[in-house]
Amino acid sequence: MNSAYTVPLFLRGELVTDNLVPFDVRTGGAQFDAPDMARYVDRLPLPTPMAMTDLNELAFDEILDVLEALGDALDFDRNTHLQEAYEAAMLANPLPGDMLKNSYQILRPLFSRTNVREIADSQVGLDYLNGWVPQQLSDGRELRVRAFGARVLHIPAGNGGLVSAVTILRSVITRCDTIIKAPSNDPLTAVAIARTLADVAPNHPITKHLVVGYWKGGDTAVEEKLYRPEHIEKIVAWGGFASVKHVTRYIQPGLELIALDPKRSATIIGRQAFDDDETMREVARCAAVDIGVANQEGCANARVIYVLSGTDPDGIANANKLGEMIYQELTGLPAFISTPPLHPSRELYEHVEASRMTDDWYRVIGGEHREGAVIVSQFDSAVDYSAMLSGRVANIVPVDSIDKVTDAVTSYTQTIGIYPESLKRALRDKLPLFGAQRLTTLGYACSVPLAAPQDAIEPMRRMCKWIVEEACDPDVVTPLWRLGEPAA
Amino acid sequence: MTTQQSTTRVEQFMDDPIAFFGESLTQMHSIPRDELEELQRQAMAIRFDQHRQSIEMVRKLADRLRISELNDFNDVVPLLFSHTAFKSYPAVLIDNKRFDLMTAWLDKLTSHDLSAVDTDGCDGIDEWIDRLDAQTPLEVITSSGTTGTLSIIPKDKHGSREGMVLWKICLFQTFGKEPTDDELNPAVDVIWPNYASGKLGHLRIANMIKRGFTGGDERKFHALYPDAIDTDLMFLASKMRAAASRGELDRLVIDPALAARKDEFIAMQARQPEDLDRFFTTITDNLRGKRVFMIGAYNIMYDVASAGLQRGVKNVFAKDSAILTGGGLKGVALPDDYMDVIHEFLGVDRIQEGYGFSEQSAFHWGCSEGRYHVQPWVIPFVLDPETSEPLARSGRQTGRAAVYDVLLKAHWGGVISGDEVTVDWDLQCPCGQTSVAFERDIIRYSEKQGVEDDRITCAATHEVHNEAVNFMKAFES
Repeated sequence: MNSAYTVPLFLRGELVTDNLVPFDVRTGGAQFDAPDMARYVDRLPLPTPMAMTDLNELAFDEILDVLEALGDALDFDRNTHLQEAYEAAMLANPLPGDMLKNSYQILRPLFSRTNVREIADSQVGLDYLNGWVPQQLSDGRELRVRAFGARVLHIPAGNGGLVSAVTILRSVITRCDTIIKAPSNDPLTAVAIARTLADVAPNHPITKHLVVGYWKGGDTAVEEKLYRPEHIEKIVAWGGFASVKHVTRYIQPGLELIALDPKRSATIIGRQAFDDDETMREVARCAAVDIGVANQEGCANARVIYVLSGTDPDGIANANKLGEMIYQELTGLPAFISTPPLHPSRELYEHVEASRMTDDWYRVIGGEHREGAVIVSQFDSAVDYSAMLSGRVANIVPVDSIDKVTDAVTSYTQTIGIYPESLKRALRDKLPLFGAQRLTTLGYACSVPLAAPQDAIEPMRRMCKWIVEEACDPDVVTPLWRLGEPAA
Repeated sequence: MTTQQSTTRVEQFMDDPIAFFGESLTQMHSIPRDELEELQRQAMAIRFDQHRQSIEMVRKLADRLRISELNDFNDVVPLLFSHTAFKSYPAVLIDNKRFDLMTAWLDKLTSHDLSAVDTDGCDGIDEWIDRLDAQTPLEVITSSGTTGTLSIIPKDKHGSREGMVLWKICLFQTFGKEPTDDELNPAVDVIWPNYASGKLGHLRIANMIKRGFTGGDERKFHALYPDAIDTDLMFLASKMRAAASRGELDRLVIDPALAARKDEFIAMQARQPEDLDRFFTTITDNLRGKRVFMIGAYNIMYDVASAGLQRGVKNVFAKDSAILTGGGLKGVALPDDYMDVIHEFLGVDRIQEGYGFSEQSAFHWGCSEGRYHVQPWVIPFVLDPETSEPLARSGRQTGRAAVYDVLLKAHWGGVISGDEVTVDWDLQCPCGQTSVAFERDIIRYSEKQGVEDDRITCAATHEVHNEAVNFMKAFES
């Protein structure tokens, strides 16, 4: 099979396209070439930690300047690197064209001065990023704390261009030396952003502290050489259970894992949704967006939807009616948000069809053409295959009481979209005990803020090395050698 | 036009193929293709009519698809069930011990009437299956699933008796020779390299084999482990794995009745090395040189053979013993010479291989050319692996295996498998059998897709599900 495209190695400003070897991608069977990383792995890490100096001395204003210029250059209509990445993703990614294009069109505003400053200040603190922050402790010593960049390896998820962009944005803000292992289902976006960076800031320290390349996840010839404390200090791993789990074998003193691990999201809809048809329609529209965005490929998408309709005949009828409305809204979403999936899961639909035949327990709305479906449980439990829900297939579960909605939340739960606001406030101190990490207004599940913690951790603060400088005046802070001496 | 005489002939073909083919393997696989296909077409139409009346799920599906009669083979394709049909009940019914509702669910999948089954006080899956055994014609079999549920296939006692006779015909007869009395009524020692009994999956056939092959002398049945495997425990294991994959392990509640038996299960596990020793002692002391019937999946056969060879036990059984293996390699890596190891241990002339899945009435036996010849009462299909549209019934086709088994009476006989197969429709197999055959290389689609892929998304993936399947298979196969 001929390779459809090449994934070059972006090596600190230099573009390497030699020594190509082929790699397979599942979807569509396209193949791509990338430099044989076993030949380059020795050149990926910084030769010495001293080489961080230039990055460390960079003024924040200059960071803002470079990122703004980068953002301006990430204009999909003019940027050939992005267009190339889009063409490659079309072959490698399950998302349809309109949606992928949209994921590139939202990149530019990410890098605006206002946005970068807000993220930097709220997620780390500008004072800590740009200087030593003084503090007097109660024992009298003076403390000064600064957030330093670290040498970080990133394994981003491949659903859309956003994750690669966020990775680069966070890395530049925190003055990290960055190596990105490109995902096989979006192999070119990170490289495209890196190449654009090299265009707008050639030879700049920011450009020289960025490496992007592809090797097959689990390739020990590369990973055993690179994933060592003498080369990198932290690994940021997104994604599935296997990919996060296999990285853990390299974790040791001096090499830390920041895991943005597998997540699912859920939805809770209160009784008020059934007050009148208009409210119900609005709730259905919001829920449909939470299900449908980017065809439910993401971790923030709604999958199981608990509704406080009750489970008596009227309650079930209401749940069914809401299911019909959600299905209508879901299939009516514009193509840049949601479409029938290109690669619906056969295994999932085998279960959906079995549920359709089991009409004592489930009512299946739509799905006959694998365009997406809503399965309404006719009792208070989710379908047993809830972990498979994807390609805009959601499960509505009617429940009688607020106690039962905690079923929606497990240790793998990320976002909970909730309607109405009063229910969210009633649940916000309880749901996190079970694992929820982000509670948001129904309809905003997939509109994820960057100036906020993620997955119940603060990845940017964790990417930094928090260095302490202390000054102790022996007349103020009693030194150890004077302990036990008689007081003067 | 169907004459009275030919109706009778079709009815005998579909209801009693053993008599129809004179108990002869040779006759089963010598019937001219055209003649067989005409019989199959008529039988399919009749069986569909019957099942549309007697099986609610078939009726509902047919009504929804507006299918009221079947004429051509491909007419049945939209009505084929996926494996999910036999596990579409909510698993919470078992947790809550609502075996009345489980019975109501199963009633819609079988032609037998289950409305009078008494499940009052029923405390677990095994007990429920015992009640069904006692009160109905059913003899259900179960198998593990990937979503924390078990498949429950409503087989019946008639089918299991018939199945054992068919096994005997295929195991002891040789194609091209009419059967002898000895081949028709063999009484042999049975080697069962597994748990002695259980309701889970293939363990269920232990009792069928015990009845069918030993001539009634149960002392001739030799199991590797003397214990029964508890289905409720397996259901828990299945749920555990599914819960782990969903991050819900902290929610898993173990049924107190089962938890109380924890020590029993641990003791059973601790006894296994002892059991293994006793098993080989029995083989060397009592069964050396005897004609036996032994059945097990490749990996089990290999494990037993290696353990035997390590103990210096080899060439143990009579050369004319009947040995049956198959079941795919189930994701376990065996060395290239695994069949040599099995041969060396057993010391028999031939090891037969079969291909099939639990929804069917019988295996399809491997021939001298290495092809699996489809039993005459089974209509095979090769489907597009994604869309399930039937591929042409001519030339060489590779795709997803599906079958419509006209012999099945207790449940619907149309199923789609998870296996990739190849059929050369125009081939006249050099082995001499006239029947259609699956080519030797069969692979599960799930295994095929599992390799060469490091696709990452931030939503949870199914690696853990696969782990669960392997975990379960280690027990049941």
